[in-house]
Amino acid sequence: MKKLTVAVAALALVGTIGFAKTLKVGLASGAYTMDPQAFNETATNSILSNIFDTLVRFDENIKVHPDLAESWSNPEPKVWIIKLRKGVKFHNGNTFNADDVVFTFDRIKNWKKSGFKGKVSMIDKVEKIDDYTVKFTTKKAFPVFLRKLTYVNMLDKETVKGKSDEWIGLHPIGTGPYKFVLWRKGDQIKFKANPNYWAGKAKFDDLIFRVLSNNATRTAAILSGEVDLINRVPVVDVNRIKNNSKLNTFVKPGLRLIYLQMDQFREKTPYVKSPTGKNPFLDVRVRRALYYGINEDAIIKYIMKGFAAPAAQFHPDVVVGYDPTIKRVKYDPAKAKKLLAEAGYPNGFSVVLDAPNNRYINDAQIAQAVASSLAKIGIKVKVNATPKSSFFPKTAKQDTSFFLIGWASSDGDGSSMLDGVVHSKDDVKGYGRYNNGKYSNAQVDKLIEESDGNMNPTARVKQMREAQKIAIVDDQNIIPLHYQVDIYASSKKIKFVPRTDSRIWAYDIK
Amino acid sequence: MLKYILNRLFHSVIVMFVISFIVFFIMFKAGDPVQLLLPPDATQQDVIEMRHALGIDQSFIKQYEAFLKNVAKGNLGNSFVYGQPALDVVFERLPATLELSVLAMIFSIIFGVPLGIIASIKPKAWYSKAIMFLSLSGISVPVFWTGMVLVLIFSVLLGWLPSSGRGEVYLFTSAFTWDGIKHLIMPVLTLSFFQLALILRLTRTGMMEVMMQDYIKLATAKGVPRRVVVYYHALKNSLIPLITVIGIQFGQLVAFTIVTETIFAWPGTGKLIIDSIQNLDRPIVVAYLLVISFIFVAINFIVDILYTFVDPRVRV
Repeated sequence: MKKLTVAVAALALVGTIGFAKTLKVGLASGAYTMDPQAFNETATNSILSNIFDTLVRFDENIKVHPDLAESWSNPEPKVWIIKLRKGVKFHNGNTFNADDVVFTFDRIKNWKKSGFKGKVSMIDKVEKIDDYTVKFTTKKAFPVFLRKLTYVNMLDKETVKGKSDEWIGLHPIGTGPYKFVLWRKGDQIKFKANPNYWAGKAKFDDLIFRVLSNNATRTAAILSGEVDLINRVPVVDVNRIKNNSKLNTFVKPGLRLIYLQMDQFREKTPYVKSPTGKNPFLDVRVRRALYYGINEDAIIKYIMKGFAAPAAQFHPDVVVGYDPTIKRVKYDPAKAKKLLAEAGYPNGFSVVLDAPNNRYINDAQIAQAVASSLAKIGIKVKVNATPKSSFFPKTAKQDTSFFLIGWASSDGDGSSMLDGVVHSKDDVKGYGRYNNGKYSNAQVDKLIEESDGNMNPTARVKQMREAQKIAIVDDQNIIPLHYQVDIYASSKKIKFVPRTDSRIWAYDIK
Repeated sequence: MLKYILNRLFHSVIVMFVISFIVFFIMFKAGDPVQLLLPPDATQQDVIEMRHALGIDQSFIKQYEAFLKNVAKGNLGNSFVYGQPALDVVFERLPATLELSVLAMIFSIIFGVPLGIIASIKPKAWYSKAIMFLSLSGISVPVFWTGMVLVLIFSVLLGWLPSSGRGEVYLFTSAFTWDGIKHLIMPVLTLSFFQLALILRLTRTGMMEVMMQDYIKLATAKGVPRRVVVYYHALKNSLIPLITVIGIQFGQLVAFTIVTETIFAWPGTGKLIIDSIQNLDRPIVVAYLLVISFIFVAINFIVDILYTFVDPRVRV
């Protein structure tokens, strides 16, 4: 009898050990490449973040935490000394050390096709001090340094050196919690837990990402239990999933602002017909009238089904530079009409609103709603919704008078939008690449440039807030609409942690 | 015969050459993929460097010339987005699409032809009417709806079949494993409904026409058994239009599996081509369309050859 008990116990033990736990994730879009330095795009970054480590990593609320960097110091404004974690191995057994760090940064810098140049462009030199110490020198004092590093995945010099781009794109070898197993393009990506991960083995032995780009398919997969987690739950299905006793839903505010911008630099703008023949958007009263005249509450309620947060400024509250004093004005069509009349447009004008139709959540419908809101204050808006492949090149050429676009402060720092959208367009200095309404205010430019090199966090945030206040409150350079939110659904069997950066970091899922 | 084949081959090369030029030109005009490839924080300098690295900063003629030179070496260029050789990316996805199309076609023929014959012999019988009614719904109900209803019933409610994906793959196909077959059932059914109905109706019309011909009456009068009259004399003579349509429809199946692939998250070329058009990934679009037009050309050729077997009067 005793023998039998022991045998049963042993069997049970074997059973638990032998039972491999699998986490299946259904994603709205899959990875384009397994090269972590090629295509800087959320879905690819999200998947690869499970294989590769970075020097520092964002936590779920986009705060910087040590990863392969054990500690760092900033002895001079332009110098950063990073101490590396010891004893970390790549998936193929090679040791991670300072040579790999130097190699990784060099590859991004020198490879013409890398989409991550914007994450390293502030760096002048990367030097190895010893095997586990690296010295970075930036071109200018650069306060956002660590946040940028969260995008630089560490490659193994011994593995990658001399290999073709095509090979690297199919053979990811990192130091992260999961190892690459197979990638069936358009179908699934399979990883297995790395038993030697420096922070301890992940809870799930197998990790499978499946690409379920069709909304209804993704919902069906979580309802039928084929996957344990899906991202981008379609808003129309949220209630259906909530009513299922086996599933949980998660709503996490994201980083992306949806906003409108208008031509603020031409006397005559191509897509406006106004009684005076001039560009009405040059007048701040007209821009402000648009802000008062758009019923954003209705957009959120009827188009976003409640899954969006109204925006009054450039950044959501988790982003550095957020200003709690800026509040959204109340929808007030009467005031909007008054402002238009003051500006000399009592009967409004007509304009074409360019919008993408496959880039943001409900982008074309939002544009339609903006049009019907503005019709009530006398502005006739014709919506021109096109695929992103024609929308972005069109707006990049400023071949537009009024457009709907989005911006995600992916570093968790307000400088990204201030530099890219608010600062005057300046290709030489690398500012304002997406400022296609060409808003320009010298004082704002000065504040942004100063804040970009200010190593004192408090003083820096003050400058950023000041710049934002002038740009959005005084000048109304854009019309903020809302911040997108991410919606996930998971099986109750797992404990999922949604993240501000929209990534799925399986190591935190228990 | 050899002359005929060579002639056809020559035509095919011209057709594919023209297609490559048109597609190349449209994609050239469609816009700048670099705007989509680089993140917002890239600088103008990065954009210029990337354009140069992809070779899209050249004039149209120069780019097309470079493309033709590469084609001569059997290389259709690397995908802008995936970074892999375009032909490899297409061929990696093609088996999934072909598998779906071939199985759907076989299924449609196996069921469509006999049902069509049954419905043609006694058109007034209740079962003939039932078959015709079902075929009408097969033609009119949209593929998207059929697919979603199948998923709702067999995956969400009953939990018998997986709602999406390709399952286990062995030797380029999922038809050899039980897991793979389970994944195949619903997509193949969805894709076949329309084809089945079409083939069924064509068979019936063809049969009814042939059954009224004098030689059928003669055969019947001579005392040839009914079975032989129907399945040998009549069926064989009604096959020509059917083969033509099946040939065209098969090409259609391969090229337009996109809806079915989307519903069932099937990793075929349909999804690939839509993504690639959206991303302005010219090498993939060109490679895909060349491969598809090659398939069309090949099917047409096979259909022409088949004619000669079915009807000896036809000469190639």
